[in-house]
Amino acid sequence: MDDYDQLYGSDRGPQITIKEADNKHAQIVLSNCDLAFANSLRRIMLAEVPTVAIDTVEIEANTSVIPDEFLCHRLGMIPLDSTNIDDKLIYSRDCMCEMYCEKCSVILTLHARCTGESNVTVYARDLVVAEGAQLGSPVITDKEGQGAIICKLRKGQELKMKCIAKKGIAKEHAKWSPVSAMGFEYDPWNKLRHIDYWYEESAEAEWPKSKYADWEEPPVEGEPFNYDALPSRFYLDVESVGSLPPDEIMQQGIKYLQEKLASVIDTLGNKNEGGDGFGDGMRSPGQDYSMGGMGGGGGYETPYGAGGGQDARTPYAGGFGGTTPYGANGRW
Amino acid sequence: MNAPDRFELFLLADGEAKVTMEPDTRQPNAAIFTFNKEDHTLGNLLRATLLQNEHVIFSAYKTPHPLFPKFELRIQTDGETSPKEALLSACQGLIGDLQMLSQKLTREWELNKIARDTS
Repeated sequence: MDDYDQLYGSDRGPQITIKEADNKHAQIVLSNCDLAFANSLRRIMLAEVPTVAIDTVEIEANTSVIPDEFLCHRLGMIPLDSTNIDDKLIYSRDCMCEMYCEKCSVILTLHARCTGESNVTVYARDLVVAEGAQLGSPVITDKEGQGAIICKLRKGQELKMKCIAKKGIAKEHAKWSPVSAMGFEYDPWNKLRHIDYWYEESAEAEWPKSKYADWEEPPVEGEPFNYDALPSRFYLDVESVGSLPPDEIMQQGIKYLQEKLASVIDTLGNKNEGGDGFGDGMRSPGQDYSMGGMGGGGGYETPYGAGGGQDARTPYAGGFGGTTPYGANGRW
Repeated sequence: MNAPDRFELFLLADGEAKVTMEPDTRQPNAAIFTFNKEDHTLGNLLRATLLQNEHVIFSAYKTPHPLFPKFELRIQTDGETSPKEALLSACQGLIGDLQMLSQKLTREWELNKIARDTS
């Protein structure tokens, strides 16, 4: 990659445009890529970007009307601040500690009691994060600054518990998902006829126009149907639950997809050298790569970015050769 | 009760390899790759990318059973490259593309942020 590309972006490869964004959501347009690529990004942002969520609860007192397990489930669903989680927290299963420690968990305590005549409402803001924790504070975005309701207490009722929040991904439980919804749409005018609209008299009159319709040319009357056309513009709408800002969700999604692909290269490459050093037991995805195991040390910049990794698409014809950074350093 | 642990969807078991290659003996230059603890996120992406390679004449994947987190990718090439080389170069190409996408996203996000802050 030359300096020009680095400064002004390249016309090669997938393009991205941000249509609308704030700290809760982002509407983006992905173009110059295929459906599978866009869908993989959607799937990975939805299910494989790690966040923190309450996973274990040690209940000391619960005299509220809500049963323990009900309450624990509610606590798990509360979004907790997870920015830059990869630098701050490791997976509990990868940690050397016995149960949990500050390296692999965040402790939140909840203590609420109703003493007055009127009922007390317990909100997410009442969760107290352990001192010194770098992340894990409840996400509060409402005007009143209260956060989600956990439970209501009548006179004399009490809640006292210790919540252990851990790092995880939404493939294990949806509470770890950083997005509440992922919009995904393409071909707003249905030129490709991937959708067969049901109608009584006229599909055009009866169906509402897509909100992305203005972004693409409407079909020309009488134009013959192009059987070979493929979708190439995708409209994604990342709606964060608040644990991560939308840009970090997207960046993390890209990173974890790269790690997935790198693990394939790693296993197949290692086998080539006759080593049996693959599959060394249970480990969290991506752990050894983010620790500098990719040879670059400083992350992805060197091995993927600067060393000609961008051109790896063109020499398909030439195959897997010494021109790539992987080939050059002899690791694979 | 006897449901498997949810983390078995993405954590490799002891000694389990991420990918294994099994040459297809019925046809030349063909191989079946079995990906463990992976799903359509990777399967469909690799399938589609491999098809863009002019030396790949067949590429398709299947999930043998929806309850097992694995998929099988069959690749056949014209002999100029081996299925494994094609797969590796597809992975590399994608990593490069994603890296470029990440840089473009950073840039776009910064520009968008400036626009938001000024308005």
